[in-house]
Amino acid sequence: MLQKYPLLGIRNGCRMKDYIFVKPGMSPEEIVKDIRSLEGVCLTSTGMRDAGQSDYKNRHRIYDLATLAPYYNKLGLFSAECHGGARWHVGIMNRRESPFEEINILRELMPNVLLQTLIRETNLWGYRPYPKNVIEYVVARVDIDVWRCFSFLNDVRNMRAVAEVVMKRGKLFEPTISFTHADWTTNDYYLGVVRDIVDLCGGTEEIILCIKDMAGVGSIQRIGSLIDAIKQKFPELVIQYHRHITDGLALPAYLAAAQSGAKIFDVEEDSLVRFYGQPPILGVHAYFEESGIPVNLNRKEAEAAVQKVREWIGYYEWAESPFKGYDHTVTLHKMPGGAFPSSFEQSDKGGFLHFMPAILKVMSLYNRIIHYFDVTPGSQITWVTCSGIVNRYAKEKGAAGVRHLINLLTRFIEEKSLDFESMKEDEQEELLSFFKNAPGDFKNLLLGHYGKLPMGWPPDWVYKSTFGDEWEIKIKERMELSPLDSLEDDDLEKLREDLTDSISRNPSEEEFILYLMHPKDALEMIGFREKYGEAPLVLPTNVWREGLKNYGDKVEFELWGKPYCVELVSIGDEYEGVIYVVMRVNNKTRVYIVETPRAKKVAIRIAKGPNDIAAPITGNVWRIGNPERGTLRVGDIVHKGEEIANLEAMKMENAIIAPFDGHVTEICVKLNDSVIEGQLLFILEKI
Amino acid sequence: MLIANRGVTAVRVMHTCRDRKIPTAAVYSTPDRLAHHVFMADSAVHIGEAPPSESYLNMDRMINAAIQTKSDAIHPGWGFLAENAEFARMVIDRGIIWIGPPPDVIKAVGDKIQAKRLAQNANVPTIPGIIDVTDIEQIKQWMDDEKLCFPIMIKAVAGGGGKGMVKVENEEQLAQAFSKARSEAQKSFGDERVLVEKYIERGRHIEVQIVADEYGNVVHLFERECTIQRRNQKIIEEAPSPSLDDDLRSEICFTAARLMREIGYTSAGTVEFLFDSTTKKFYFLEVNTRLQVEHGITELITGLDIVGIMIDVAIGKRLPFKQTDIHPNRWALEVRLNAEDPKNFSPSFGTITRLQVPMGPNVRVASGVYEGADIPPYYDSLFMLLMSAGADRADAIRVMDRALGRNLRVEGIKTLQPLLLSIIRHPAFIAGEFSTRFIEEHMDELISMFKEKNSEDNVLKIAKYVAEISALGHQKWM
Repeated sequence: MLQKYPLLGIRNGCRMKDYIFVKPGMSPEEIVKDIRSLEGVCLTSTGMRDAGQSDYKNRHRIYDLATLAPYYNKLGLFSAECHGGARWHVGIMNRRESPFEEINILRELMPNVLLQTLIRETNLWGYRPYPKNVIEYVVARVDIDVWRCFSFLNDVRNMRAVAEVVMKRGKLFEPTISFTHADWTTNDYYLGVVRDIVDLCGGTEEIILCIKDMAGVGSIQRIGSLIDAIKQKFPELVIQYHRHITDGLALPAYLAAAQSGAKIFDVEEDSLVRFYGQPPILGVHAYFEESGIPVNLNRKEAEAAVQKVREWIGYYEWAESPFKGYDHTVTLHKMPGGAFPSSFEQSDKGGFLHFMPAILKVMSLYNRIIHYFDVTPGSQITWVTCSGIVNRYAKEKGAAGVRHLINLLTRFIEEKSLDFESMKEDEQEELLSFFKNAPGDFKNLLLGHYGKLPMGWPPDWVYKSTFGDEWEIKIKERMELSPLDSLEDDDLEKLREDLTDSISRNPSEEEFILYLMHPKDALEMIGFREKYGEAPLVLPTNVWREGLKNYGDKVEFELWGKPYCVELVSIGDEYEGVIYVVMRVNNKTRVYIVETPRAKKVAIRIAKGPNDIAAPITGNVWRIGNPERGTLRVGDIVHKGEEIANLEAMKMENAIIAPFDGHVTEICVKLNDSVIEGQLLFILEKI
Repeated sequence: MLIANRGVTAVRVMHTCRDRKIPTAAVYSTPDRLAHHVFMADSAVHIGEAPPSESYLNMDRMINAAIQTKSDAIHPGWGFLAENAEFARMVIDRGIIWIGPPPDVIKAVGDKIQAKRLAQNANVPTIPGIIDVTDIEQIKQWMDDEKLCFPIMIKAVAGGGGKGMVKVENEEQLAQAFSKARSEAQKSFGDERVLVEKYIERGRHIEVQIVADEYGNVVHLFERECTIQRRNQKIIEEAPSPSLDDDLRSEICFTAARLMREIGYTSAGTVEFLFDSTTKKFYFLEVNTRLQVEHGITELITGLDIVGIMIDVAIGKRLPFKQTDIHPNRWALEVRLNAEDPKNFSPSFGTITRLQVPMGPNVRVASGVYEGADIPPYYDSLFMLLMSAGADRADAIRVMDRALGRNLRVEGIKTLQPLLLSIIRHPAFIAGEFSTRFIEEHMDELISMFKEKNSEDNVLKIAKYVAEISALGHQKWM
């Protein structure tokens, strides 16, 4: 007789270990308790966020990432970082995916997994401080379980608004200290930051502390010592160590951290690992287990996930950094994993790839003059400022100029110990010209718009260099308050109306939040989706990037529970800027007329301003003027309420009425022209 | 038989001709060369260029086409020359059978002023108003005399179909509205005379279908409710009317039959009334001396073929039934699919790239187009009628909801489909509580009810993306 019910959870005769130890819906306190009582360590997978950000310019599409979710659901992870950081913005700009859609997809496919975001305190998922009411509005409306929140200044004051909303919602807040290796980042310094965090969060029972080693610069000994120092002071604090692998020393650093008491480690699929992301999940597992530290991980499922990645990772080769290989000098220039590929992309596009070593060198010197952490938005400020200085020298004096620049800075820092007065007069002059073309964000940083710098404000000569004669006024204007307390609230209703006007319909809550973070890009994304629907979510990556190539090539997909198929029949040759594409869409032949960039645009002027008189309907201009006064001419005066033209469409007349007294400055159509709705008919000037 | 019309109208008449095995001849203007009605006919004659005055309104060419095709009869359909007494006279004078009422009847009731007098003579109630208006001072004087206030209605004397009809809300609008009505009247009917009437607020539009033969038999086929209108043009009709009880129904129907008998009507025609639902009074509006767009719903509730009856009457046959034989036993609904933007009614012409016509139980479709056909900008925007029938009103609405919401699909042009669906789903419509101003009063709400998500639309957007990327390769923004 057949066994009616298979034994649940039993395979090969032995009971499967249940690796799932935390789940969405648990309170932060329960989660923290479960981690504390866990034997050994547990993992956060960054495969769905930081892995892609560090080595693939954030181009990994949810279409591919979602294939990993069924494995994640059984891995026994602490969390999956799948949201936030630059993935948010790149999603809108380049992948045309909404972070809200990604959450919905992952929630459904991996209900056991805590979803984690990375958030930049007041800068949220953008690059500038947002007012407090925007922060509160946004954070309250995003369905995320674990909120990893960092400050590039380690200005804990800036975390308050996010912390309050997250903790009030019963979600897990993970305050994060930005870590770098420098003479001023001592254990005592970090202990001060941790103390501020513990005070902000009312103790250590409901939070996890993260150490964000975003460039991978902590030496093995340094990391062990720091975690040890924190654990001594705060023995109950659960610590997560987030680290990049760029220096090549990630695995031993992880072991040192675990031995000092860190409980959670960030990893990614071995098959995703390149040079700037997190360590490989299977390697970390093996190394820890061999060192006697148990890892809560369903290894079999992890192996399957690693294998799954290989099915699609090839589609993203184009997004990988051209600058390949580990780089231990990262400990000097400190460019973080996430910024590496984009910096190289920019230098390549800008034609200064060959100056990269010099820029990295200047960055390492700059770091010693102005102290903050090279992570968003700080890393961008460092990059733009330093690459700007190098490019200026290169342009003015060539490669020799760049060498001179590095020598000057090195002498100033190493020989003169940053003592401006001890430099020669001409050298002082040169230093004073250093920041004169610095970007606006650098200026904002000096003015305190982002918050307090961790070691206090830079020396006066930096202000002189940046602001010229106004430097003293600027120092007086410098903000000592957190942007949370100094920025005025935005008028949310007004912003919602602006968005409604721009898209001519009521936006969804999600669209509004995209708009709050990145207004211009959100509008483009919304426009794209109105035109192309859910193409970004349902199309396989090869079709998404290249389309269909040959006769008979087809793409099959599911949309809202039903199957569909698009099959290519033919692509015509370009003729006068137009290509005809014939496809079979669910077996029905359709012809698409695709305009190439060379397409002739028929310029139809659309009425925009208050003085522009628009056609209310699509129709035919059969009269300009009215029967009483005859045809209107430029320069004529018209009166409010007077009929100035008449359109006919399907035998109905539509009078165009002057909305105010004015004179006609332009008549933009001719008698018997066909016009479309909204087309400009007249320009009037008010009298 | 020559069908002196185009589109939905011509196709409808041809259906009955096919039933009767009567060969048909179509006429077409240049842009209609490949139109549906041309393909459907047994032969077709080009009668001129796009403007109606050069083709479908050109009487000489129409007659020549009939002679050229050796037609024995002309059916004018509705619109164009259908209510043109001069044309009817020309047809008869050429020895061709005119399928419609006698020319002198058309002439008598086609003039709104005369029709009103005829109605008054037959003791049919009419709306207070003045006739033969040539300037606005007359209107002001009349309003003073009768102690009337705005709004008022200006109508083309020769008008019909909502054209040359302007509602005036206040005195400031008067001058402009007056000249607009006159100009439209001139353009559409070649007659700029207008009359002015008091505007009945929250009125309902009810009309009675009449058929009559040459032997004095006049039978009504009950009423239709045509209250749902936009810009004075009907877009949803139903039969019977949900506004009337049985007493009012028989009163209004017999009043109509009496009027038609008195004026010596033959063939099919309609008496239109404005019904004031608060006072339960009805007023004569006009007689339509033609087949009407919405005749199909009367056919659905009675099982008769009105076009067939018109043909029989025209060749001298008697009506094959008496009034007591007519027993409507269905409820029927009709919506007009116009090629218009459903948000603002601006016309939407172009090519119908895809057409999926609703099917299934209790649906009747009268289409003037086929997939791939063009909707030219020169003519009426109506391109398809959808009708549904059921045992009662709720049934008929359910069937229409299915037809409009699930089965119909038109691509390439905008249609009223979303608006029509919103209307039949609106609680006030379902409750039968509405006036001719229903659409203007509820427009925002109706638009907000437009269904936004539809997987078929979305798939087409995705396919468009695939087409573009396939043609252009990967894009910089990626």
